[in-house]
Amino acid sequence: MSGMGDLTLFLPEAVVLLAALVAFAMSAFARSYRAVWYATTFMSLAAVAVCIASMGFHGEPFFPGIYRVDLFSQLLKLGLTIGLALTLLVSRELPSVRASAHSDLPIFLTLGTLGMMMLVSATELLTLYVVLELSAYALYVMAALNRRQREGGEAGVKYLLFGAAASAITLYGLSLIYGAVGSTLLTDVVNHESSALLVLGVILTLSGLFFKLAVLPFHAWAPDTYQAAPHQVATFIGTSSKVAAIGILVRVLTMALDADAVQTLLIALSVVSMTVGNLAALAQKDLKRMLAWSTVAHAGYALLGMLTLSELGMASAIFYGLTYFVIAFAAFLAVVAVSPEGENPSLDSLKGLYRRAPLVGIVLLAGMFGLAGVPPTPGFTGKWFLFSAALESDYFWLVLVGAINATISLYYYLRVVRYAYQTVPDGHDSRPLKVDFPTQLAGWAAMGLIVFVGFYPGPLWDLARDAAKVLLAGG
Amino acid sequence: MGTSGLLTYILLTPLAAFIATLVIPGRHTLAIKVANAFFAFVGLVLSVVVFTQYDLAAGGYQLMQDVPWVDSFGIRYTVAVDGVGVVLVLLNAIVFFTGVLTMWTLTLRVKEYFAFMALLVFGVFGVFISLDVFVFFFFYEVAVLPMYPLIAIWGSTKKEYSAMKLTLYLMVGSALLFPGLISLFVAGGSGSWNIEFLAAAIKNQPEFQVFVYPFVYVGFGILAGMWPFHGWSPTGHVAAPTAVSMLHAGVLMKLGAFGILRIAIGILPHGAEIWAPLFASTATVGIVYGAFVAMRQNDFKYVIGFSSVSHMGIVLLGLNTLTPDGTSGAVFQMFAHGIMTALFFSAVGFIYDQTHDRDIRHFGGLSKQVPVAAAFFIVASLCGMGVPGFASFWAEFLVFLQALASWPVLGVAALIGLVFTALYALRVLGKAMFGPANPSWDHLKDATPWAMVPRVILIGVLVLFGFFPSWILDIIHTATGNN
Repeated sequence: MSGMGDLTLFLPEAVVLLAALVAFAMSAFARSYRAVWYATTFMSLAAVAVCIASMGFHGEPFFPGIYRVDLFSQLLKLGLTIGLALTLLVSRELPSVRASAHSDLPIFLTLGTLGMMMLVSATELLTLYVVLELSAYALYVMAALNRRQREGGEAGVKYLLFGAAASAITLYGLSLIYGAVGSTLLTDVVNHESSALLVLGVILTLSGLFFKLAVLPFHAWAPDTYQAAPHQVATFIGTSSKVAAIGILVRVLTMALDADAVQTLLIALSVVSMTVGNLAALAQKDLKRMLAWSTVAHAGYALLGMLTLSELGMASAIFYGLTYFVIAFAAFLAVVAVSPEGENPSLDSLKGLYRRAPLVGIVLLAGMFGLAGVPPTPGFTGKWFLFSAALESDYFWLVLVGAINATISLYYYLRVVRYAYQTVPDGHDSRPLKVDFPTQLAGWAAMGLIVFVGFYPGPLWDLARDAAKVLLAGG
Repeated sequence: MGTSGLLTYILLTPLAAFIATLVIPGRHTLAIKVANAFFAFVGLVLSVVVFTQYDLAAGGYQLMQDVPWVDSFGIRYTVAVDGVGVVLVLLNAIVFFTGVLTMWTLTLRVKEYFAFMALLVFGVFGVFISLDVFVFFFFYEVAVLPMYPLIAIWGSTKKEYSAMKLTLYLMVGSALLFPGLISLFVAGGSGSWNIEFLAAAIKNQPEFQVFVYPFVYVGFGILAGMWPFHGWSPTGHVAAPTAVSMLHAGVLMKLGAFGILRIAIGILPHGAEIWAPLFASTATVGIVYGAFVAMRQNDFKYVIGFSSVSHMGIVLLGLNTLTPDGTSGAVFQMFAHGIMTALFFSAVGFIYDQTHDRDIRHFGGLSKQVPVAAAFFIVASLCGMGVPGFASFWAEFLVFLQALASWPVLGVAALIGLVFTALYALRVLGKAMFGPANPSWDHLKDATPWAMVPRVILIGVLVLFGFFPSWILDIIHTATGNN
């Protein structure tokens, strides 16, 4: 389809951009939040459809070399739009967002998604940086939208400060890469002879990106921001932004395929992230904080695939990212559903969930089993692929560390299941939870995806594998 | 042949039970139970068909079905049974069916209970028939996980602690299996996960075999109740509800032993040879230790729990002889112990359901108060002691005979363990079943004909294969190379 008019390649992004503009216009003309929500949700679903249709696109819609549309980018864009649609589906009621800001949420959700979609296509360092910031700013603003001013401010400021520092490091890294290569085009960097300066530049660039994925030691924002951000925003940060982060990380890593230093760094970060993330998650009582620490651990697993710097490793990381976000979404859906007043759910508030809202209970179960990496969820297959990739590169002990970490994580994931499936104790709220229809729909969709890909991972794995092939060949 | 999909149909019966359970509204508890019993019965009938149709003359893997699953990664849904698989599939079907019948009186959250139980059985069937390492491990994990909610919700006696302990122990096993199993694939050239293929491909890599064998052996061994990693087993047994104990001790622990046989020893024979002295020793310690500890227990279920450690030690010892006779005996013991323990737990469950007490010291003369229920327990005890006339006699006979030949010192030590076994079994019988009756239990109701059904089936199987061991041994022999 490379013969198509170039700008057609930009169609998926254009739909999301249009959604952002529509949301902006509607909120400017003081439409009710419900109307804005309907419009953006509908358009996000359309964007999913367009992404599916555009899976075969490849080419360059803009100037040569700066923006590439290929299977890799389109696959991740599909994940991102699905993430957007799912997040919007659980956003019809926004008890945890301050009322005056309701209509702002769809605007920034779509803008953030747009930034991330462009991020996975960017193949030029400055473009990459600009769209990285586009997605980041949307997230900073949304993190601060909490109904309770003080907490909202805390979440926003913390996220912004850490983010700004990370961004500065990335920018510095990019400048070093430019200094070493003399070009900002990714193809030039990849084909350039490796040098110490280049490797340093790549490492610094990666460091800024690790912030996005919440890799230790760039994770410090995550627990506080997850806890204080509105539930829907935490959902978005915990799902879509992880897809984008994995996408851009593997892209940047193609610039340093033969660098031992990068590999060593990744091994260290992977081990530390997995271990610290899991151990810290053990101690959490607040469900969102627990999920934040669990994200840190999962970042470590994803690195396990990337650090091999092989096609198989990249493919497994892509597969992991594309399945992880749905699984994490299932967990966040329960967070949204069990807090009708927008409060932060504790483990205790899950008690009796299986009876108060059976669907949410099952979705949460699927999410927890998925995060724990238990079949028949893609969490299991994803880990299997990651571990296989690492073993292909002879990292036997690293895989053992990863597998033992998965065992540790089981403790806190199963604890959530136990609370959700415990009988309601006396004096505890046992009324049925009201779960609105779009949320139910999102629950069914997430569970359907989890079970389908869990039993039938073949097609997605093939796509991930082809995407990795394209990524490594295209440079 | 029109039977090529037979194994898949068997695999689908618990899945059908699972789906039926989800679909039927929770208040229709009887419908849920009937649906489960129905599908369990279908599975049982199909398993009997497989058992009788298995071609002894041809041997090897039969009823094979081979469909690509994740083709580009070499993963294929390859199912087939050899002599060992046939026997274990039958075991699982029997225990599932009798387990459903045993839980007929359940009233607490019937729907979720049967859903989790069907999922567990689904996993177990999958393991016994798969010939692909990925598929094997996939089902293995599916089987292990439902134990957690089953014990944590429906259990008794420190149920949450026991459930978590069990799960974490077993998952540590899985943590060893992850690198262990995947490295088999890598060593085999990264093309296929097929067990037979891998066995051929890794044949000439002795160093690799020796390196990876302990990971795979211990990984599976934990689930088989291998000493010194058996700690989860007695507490798990005690806390689990009756049918779950039945499935757990009766079938689930066999998954571990089966994994050792099929994958550890099957793919890594050289590694097995090198490590056999160590693992035969730990197995023997398990036999003696389990029996020894069982002598001091006052809780019915703890006695059975530790006796399982001891009996599974016999299985592991048999496997570690690495001989056809020892292996055949071990597989027969897996079957016999599975049925026997199911009977044990189901007998104890019957008494516990009425008394909510399992302390042996609080009972006496049960054989007068509830003669039928006591008879079940007595039969299970006799079988546990390896009395001739029951299936386990032949199994233990084979294992000990071979053990004495292969590892004389260990064989003698294991035989001493048998003495302890007789002691603890007779102690329980003497205290609880015979002797002066405890008048506070005079009111107990004896087993109704309906409650007798599952127990009688189990006894029937034990006696049948006790008198006609060749029916089962002939099939096992086709797989263990002993004709």
